[in-house]
Amino acid sequence: MSDDNAVEATLTVGNQLGLHARVATMMVQAMRNYASKVTLCKDGVEVDARSVLGLLLLAATPGSEILVRAQGPDSKEAIETIGRLIQNEEQ
Amino acid sequence: MKNNKPIEQSPECAPATPLENHANMLLKGIGVSGGVGIGQAVVIERFTEEICPKRMLKNDEIPPEVARFEEAVKAAAEHYRQIKNQVLSHQRLQNHVYILDTHILLLEDRMFFEGTKQAIATERQNAEWAVSETISKIMCAFDGIEDEYLRERARDIHFVGERVLRILMGMSSESKIQHLPPNSVIIAHDLSPADTAQIKGESVIGFAMDMGGKTSHTAIMARSLKIPAVTGLENLSSVTQTGDTIILDGTTGIVILNPDPEMLFRYRQRQELYRKYQLSLMTYGRLPAVTRCGSQSVRITANIELVDEIDIALSHGSEGIGLFRTEYLFLGRPDLPTEEQQYDAYRQVLMHNKPNSVTIRTLDVGGDKIALGIHTSHESNPALGLRAIRLCLERKDMFRTQLRAILRASVHGNCKLLIPMISCLTELQATKAIIKDVQEELTAEGAEFDRHISLGILVEVPSAVAIADLLAKEVDFFSIGTNDLIQYALAIDRVNEHVNYLYDTLHPAVLRLIRQVTHVGQAAGIEVAMCGEMAGDPLNVPILLGLGIHELSMNPLSIPIVKKLIRQVRMDECRTLTDRAFQMQHADEIHSYLEGWMRERFPTDYFFD
Repeated sequence: MSDDNAVEATLTVGNQLGLHARVATMMVQAMRNYASKVTLCKDGVEVDARSVLGLLLLAATPGSEILVRAQGPDSKEAIETIGRLIQNEEQ
Repeated sequence: MKNNKPIEQSPECAPATPLENHANMLLKGIGVSGGVGIGQAVVIERFTEEICPKRMLKNDEIPPEVARFEEAVKAAAEHYRQIKNQVLSHQRLQNHVYILDTHILLLEDRMFFEGTKQAIATERQNAEWAVSETISKIMCAFDGIEDEYLRERARDIHFVGERVLRILMGMSSESKIQHLPPNSVIIAHDLSPADTAQIKGESVIGFAMDMGGKTSHTAIMARSLKIPAVTGLENLSSVTQTGDTIILDGTTGIVILNPDPEMLFRYRQRQELYRKYQLSLMTYGRLPAVTRCGSQSVRITANIELVDEIDIALSHGSEGIGLFRTEYLFLGRPDLPTEEQQYDAYRQVLMHNKPNSVTIRTLDVGGDKIALGIHTSHESNPALGLRAIRLCLERKDMFRTQLRAILRASVHGNCKLLIPMISCLTELQATKAIIKDVQEELTAEGAEFDRHISLGILVEVPSAVAIADLLAKEVDFFSIGTNDLIQYALAIDRVNEHVNYLYDTLHPAVLRLIRQVTHVGQAAGIEVAMCGEMAGDPLNVPILLGLGIHELSMNPLSIPIVKKLIRQVRMDECRTLTDRAFQMQHADEIHSYLEGWMRERFPTDYFFD
């Protein structure tokens, strides 16, 4: 695996209740459409974007900063999807 | 690290004493869903860790034990899928489906699934023991979270663990909840959303729980089901026995166990009062919105976002749909809905409301509402960014598909087209050019559509108010979207806790903006509707009548009370009241003036406590 497809982005949580159950659920479900390995990192804790428990335990409250890393053939698209989910203020 | 914390935290309460003979035992909790319920208690027994068997496995027992655990997880997932299907067919609960998806994902989560298998294999724990140990560890990790809402999610993993344990222990998942006698009041320490979702509406007349607050999922579901509910009762489930008579007041949060005849009589009266009030309101829903002086100048319609909401709208007396928010067809899916899928939804809404009109708003996403099928870039200020009509003009393919679907559906009823977030004439003209082009395309294909479809804009950007006279020449109607208009005009983000106290519907500036739109509408001879939350509050209605709004579109549940008010007032008094309000300088002053007027005119009608 080459590093060419590794992408990372720092995103701010826009969801009203933080990265909560509904958003975490949508994220795990959305990640099924991607082949890349995706992780979310906050305060030195790194979790798999495909683990609901991991996402909830990140305790990402509204406004907190998250470093998202993706590696794989569709890493860019995967990060875009994550961005849309955690910046969605309606959810 | 060994963790012996019990999986079910015991409630902080004195040990239960036999209280079944104590009459009128009163407990105070939080009323989370209004109304009075009087019935028989059905106590849902708590699942406690003490009954969970623990033993060390021999070597050869390990593989079959792992398999037994895997089977139990499969069965639990199946259980949640079944409930999910039940909930999907229950229109009032549809918003809660995701909780069941969350539960299924929790079952599959590595931390739980692999963690438990590892405990069986390396610690030689039997499956039940391994599950409860793993769940305890996970719940412990949640303890450290400062944010209350996120910390509370530990309950979800707890419910999931309990479900797996019940299956492992061969305890019936058909809990008491499925076979209930009529007039049951469900008493529980805590109810999982899955349990609540299974409750058959007819036999349950109330919920009372030890745990939870106004925002617990069960409270939210009870409100959707319109069943009275009280939470936060601390030790109710340990002092109540199945069969006890219980009174539940979901408005005040009071629960009375084993009431004496006098108390029962008092609450039956209160129940009757509440019921009559609700019923009388429903009666108003069926009556026309005619003022006492006989004016029929205003139409009362409903805001809906799902096809399934048509029934609620009609049963509450809507005279059409004033706002059909189409973005729900786009949200929560990875791709865009096809023309046929959209056509189908629009056609259904139109057919069911015939001959009344249905105002279909074109896609209003971007910014705060994001559909997965639409790729947008990150914006630092989404409320002022690429959203609604701006996004549609950028993504013309997507917009054309929606317009084709709406136009094709327009032959099935009385269809109006509403364009959101217009801020200048250029945008409106560009939009009209696309509509014209799509119409020509349909004509060329020989497709049928309403060639005289009414076109309107959602007036929600202050610049549109300022140039309302210019825009009026291009459209058939205006609809004022108060939620966004107020937000943009007062420069207040409603969800920002530091400034939202400044958000005021009755701000003199807001009233002046509305008046400006109605004046332009009158001069241009086009109708002016209103579809924000402002339209559904009875307190605002006299002023809105006074300003000459033609259509008030609201949450369907508000229709009966708004119609009731309309039928009690005269247009001349509404106009006088409006003139007075426009002489006032502060929102507070206007607010107390309107409230005082309502209290004086209708002392008991709108302040039911």
